Amino acid sequence: MLQGALAGLAAGGLYAVLAVCLTLMSRLVRVVNFSQSATGMFGCYVAVWLSIHVGLPTWAATVVGIVLGTALSALLGWIISTWLAEADIGTRSAVTVAVLLLLISLSFILFGNKPQPFHPVLDGPAFTVGGVVVSQVTVVTVVLSVLIAVGCRTLLTKTSFGLELRALSERPTTAELLAIPAKPLAVAVWAVTGLLSTLVISIVAPSQSNDATSLAMLVVPASAAALLGGFRRLDLAVIGGLVLGMAQGAVAQVDSLSVVRYFLPFLVIVGLLLWSQRKEVWDVAR
Amino acid sequence: MSGLRVQDVTVTRGAGPVIRDVAFTLEPGRITALVGPNGAGKTSLLESISGVVPAASGSVSIDGTDITKQSRVARAKLGLAHIEQGRAVFPGLTVVENLKLTARTWPRVEEVLALFPELEKRRNSPTALLSGGEQQMVVLARAFAARPRYLLIDEMSLGLAPVVFTRLLPMVTRFAEEGAAILLVEQFTHLALGVSQDALVVSSGRVTFQGTAKELLDAPETLHSAYLGE
Repeated sequence: MLQGALAGLAAGGLYAVLAVCLTLMSRLVRVVNFSQSATGMFGCYVAVWLSIHVGLPTWAATVVGIVLGTALSALLGWIISTWLAEADIGTRSAVTVAVLLLLISLSFILFGNKPQPFHPVLDGPAFTVGGVVVSQVTVVTVVLSVLIAVGCRTLLTKTSFGLELRALSERPTTAELLAIPAKPLAVAVWAVTGLLSTLVISIVAPSQSNDATSLAMLVVPASAAALLGGFRRLDLAVIGGLVLGMAQGAVAQVDSLSVVRYFLPFLVIVGLLLWSQRKEVWDVAR
Repeated sequence: MSGLRVQDVTVTRGAGPVIRDVAFTLEPGRITALVGPNGAGKTSLLESISGVVPAASGSVSIDGTDITKQSRVARAKLGLAHIEQGRAVFPGLTVVENLKLTARTWPRVEEVLALFPELEKRRNSPTALLSGGEQQMVVLARAFAARPRYLLIDEMSLGLAPVVFTRLLPMVTRFAEEGAAILLVEQFTHLALGVSQDALVVSSGRVTFQGTAKELLDAPETLHSAYLGE
């Protein structure tokens, strides 16, 4: 079971990074970005295609894929910031559902519906603990998730750029009246989260189920992790992602429960939503 | 050609115009009180000047530069500040962080805090935890830190006790003394006219009086007819 839990840490690190991205998007640009992992998936698929059909070295194809994922996310951010600047969070988020479906369909059309033959960016074990092998991918994703969360928190609390982002997230119109450029800042947030998503998916995809739907739907466990922090707290988003990944890995080791790992994110989401609504329910009951 | 010039501005909201062909000029160092009944279009006029809502026709210019089609950010960079109705603080940011958004440098933050001793004591508190008067002080201090050349103030007294508002008014005159042109929308008409040099009365989206504040104070029937529709 410990081996399973440690094996699940790689997925956990992936969930954690995506959860941090979702939290940043929700806090700073008022969007629950359902296409967060789909843009990453699409960038990675293009990288695999470039590697196989154009003959680019793996590292070069990966860089191009990351640039594409970043650009796709920035383009979506530009569209939403231009035409839906004053729209509520529900409307803005609904657009990202459409993009999620568009990118899954497009990947089926362009690359087929089979898993892609990813070349691992990282390969092999990092170290062994008590007879359990911990892979390089696990170490890198876990460290990356913590570094990104700490880096984002530092940026938001210690720099003028972060201060402007926080102001923008609280009162966009007032922020603009103070000469804070809302649109470029929002597009920058979209671009950075797109970059991080594509980067971490390109690291983990070779060792995971990597068909288009599975990668695009990584947004579900990531949302469960982000929900633990209420889409506000980066530290809880990271913890949520790592714990969820470990729990899925541990459950997968028990034959009678292995199927539960697929439902675990949904169970977590339902549980957290019910927990967050407990006061309202009790108030109504009173 | 210095000054903020509003020329024949019409603003449309929903079914029809809420401001029609309004024209006036704000001059540096002078306060202009903009008064009129609720729904007269005062807030819409201010919002069209700062770019929150677009003007359907007419033009707005700053020092001869037409800003009618420019973004809110571009207008702010030209020295235009707009204190919105309500308490436009960033509630999750501390007092100092609110000020830093416009002050840019620490010495300027300290300089502004020295003018507001009440805020100095609570400099590291999130503004959400301040009283209504203190929050409005933060908004004023934040505008002050930016050194605006043109300042639009919309109902600063909203939700505040008159005693708190009278504490804030001297800061508005200080803006003008430093050379800013101010357009002051205020429900406490006589207090606003008391600190203003010029006055505009707006009723049903049209300017019905334009002159000095003294002239308006000396002709109370003009105000009464605007408010009571006589």
